[in-house]
Amino acid sequence: MKIQSKSGRNQSGVKLLIAAAVLSASATAAADPAANSAAVEQQLEQKVDEMSQQLQELKAQLEQLKAQNQALSQQQQQTQQVVQQQAAQQQAQPPPQAQTASVRGSSLFDNLSLWGYGEVYYTRPIHEPNRTEADLARAVFGIGYTFDDRTSFNSEYEVEHAVSSASDVGEFEVEQFYVDHQLTDWATVRGGLFLMPFGLLNEHHEPTNFYGVQRNFVETLIIPSTWREGGFNFHGNTDIGIGWNVGLTTGQDLSKWNYAPEFPQYITALDMEDNDVAPLQASHQELALANASHLAEYAALSYTGVPGLNVGAAAFTGNAEKVAAPPNAPINGDQRITLWETHARWTPGKFDLSALYAHGSITNLAVANASNPGSPNPIPSAFYGYYAQGAYTVWQNNTYRISPFVRWEKYSMGSRYEGSPGPILPQGFVPVSANPGDYGYWPVNHDRVWTYGANFYVTPHVVLKADYQSFQQNSNFSRFDLGLGLGF
Amino acid sequence: MIPSSRLLFLPLAAIAVCAPAQATVYLSVDEAQKLMFGEQALMPLPVVLTPEQTAAIEQDAGTKVYPGSLRAWKAADGYFFVDAVIGKHDLITYAVALGADGKVRQLEILEYREAYGSEVRNPRWRAQFNGKQHGDSVRIGDGIQNISGATLSSEHITDGIRRLLATYAIAIAQPPAQR
Repeated sequence: MKIQSKSGRNQSGVKLLIAAAVLSASATAAADPAANSAAVEQQLEQKVDEMSQQLQELKAQLEQLKAQNQALSQQQQQTQQVVQQQAAQQQAQPPPQAQTASVRGSSLFDNLSLWGYGEVYYTRPIHEPNRTEADLARAVFGIGYTFDDRTSFNSEYEVEHAVSSASDVGEFEVEQFYVDHQLTDWATVRGGLFLMPFGLLNEHHEPTNFYGVQRNFVETLIIPSTWREGGFNFHGNTDIGIGWNVGLTTGQDLSKWNYAPEFPQYITALDMEDNDVAPLQASHQELALANASHLAEYAALSYTGVPGLNVGAAAFTGNAEKVAAPPNAPINGDQRITLWETHARWTPGKFDLSALYAHGSITNLAVANASNPGSPNPIPSAFYGYYAQGAYTVWQNNTYRISPFVRWEKYSMGSRYEGSPGPILPQGFVPVSANPGDYGYWPVNHDRVWTYGANFYVTPHVVLKADYQSFQQNSNFSRFDLGLGLGF
Repeated sequence: MIPSSRLLFLPLAAIAVCAPAQATVYLSVDEAQKLMFGEQALMPLPVVLTPEQTAAIEQDAGTKVYPGSLRAWKAADGYFFVDAVIGKHDLITYAVALGADGKVRQLEILEYREAYGSEVRNPRWRAQFNGKQHGDSVRIGDGIQNISGATLSSEHITDGIRRLLATYAIAIAQPPAQR
């Protein structure tokens, strides 16, 4: 529009100019009418011709300008469109820093990770309801730090039984504290205090990872959980699903073994799990000023190459710090502790099936046990346990999931004794604690247990649990449990 | 006392064998793209979700959508995606190739940083997703087997793939009307 009006104005200006020229020419001609009229007419015609030619040229130039102008405006519009598109694309794509997880910023928090887990129990022995207990069994917080793409630090700190002080039952523990440095896709070196790669539970002991309110007895009493040692290891897994782990760690300490407990070391199933009574529970050191004059070695292999299947085995062996020698009877030779286990877990569809066998031994105990005759708690030369467990997800909706399970297990904290016929237990109804009037039966250190229960997952990270456990030997241990567990 | 441990030799042997290499980053985005689509040049495909689309995807997949997390490219014969999920407490980055028919062609783990659970790199586990498309059952225990010992990682990657397939169906395969 603008262009047209402009050219219109120009055209009218040109017309005025021509008219003025014609007028002035005719005035000159009028001054000398007779002689020059023909010549003047000719001149005038010539001028008009010239002018009309100029007019045509101007017209053409204007047309050219008009076309150029249109082209320019089109170009401008196109540029605008491109700019808009680019802006939209930039909005859609986050800035490069947000794109890659590997990019770590300069802030401390970019390299830091935090996590935690914990569990609360309510446990009611059905034959002895006066021993019902509720416990914030553990509250654990983890801190990790990534130094670079191949080097990271992980640690976990645990408060057991809610309150830790000189007059309370609780404990504050460092559960893990190690550095990983990755060497290749399939090999990492780890140093510090770390979990031992034994069984299905020890390395994955968060309450969302196991069925039942409490951990199973085999992976508490035979494989001590949570079992950790100080040292270093090499571990990794390969593309075909073979996991491997070999390490050199601190070993066990038998020198503080309690041969002469005045009362049973446990009078409920919960006590038995908590009171560090089983052979490896009583002798592991957890890197607390650990005696490191003897080191132990272990190796573990696993296979997860078939989706849903996990089979594995592990073995640990090392000389222990020896039992305190009795007077006039030196203990010659070493006391070697060996533990091995094998496990399988298969999760076809909604099923979750697992089984585990674990066996431990301690050598050269004849002198030590024989010098503590009549002990209710001699050191076993062999101990073992096994279980089979099946779970099935009966209902799942959104994040909710209900999985009932049943488990059968057998454990023996002493299946063979050197230098001793075995524990000599007070018979009958006897005092079982320093509390006056607290009577009961001295429990035996082996049992068979059925567990029936269900895990109800509110989310994969929060689980409510209920179970009933039936003990065949220590029938007073039979109990009903409720639990709340979480992990993040 | 000097520990008489034969295993002392193992670490030394391992150090000798293992040449340092980039490790927690198993594949770069470029390497994954070449692996899945060869040398062809891919067109970046901006994934801008309307609030309605975000809600629809979250409803459909049952997982949360984090804006800007998913990156997408269009190939001549399909789509290339890079996304991330939290494993236990750290990010797992992975790449997914979809065919032009919207079916998963390949899953590759690009980065895994946590101390446990890197078994999700196992090819047979990842192959379970191949051929899955939106509407198929893509859940642990229902279409996909888990990995015992890498429970959370396998669960969260499965959730991520389900979210990706929903995003593809809702926002990419049926683009919104031109404004």
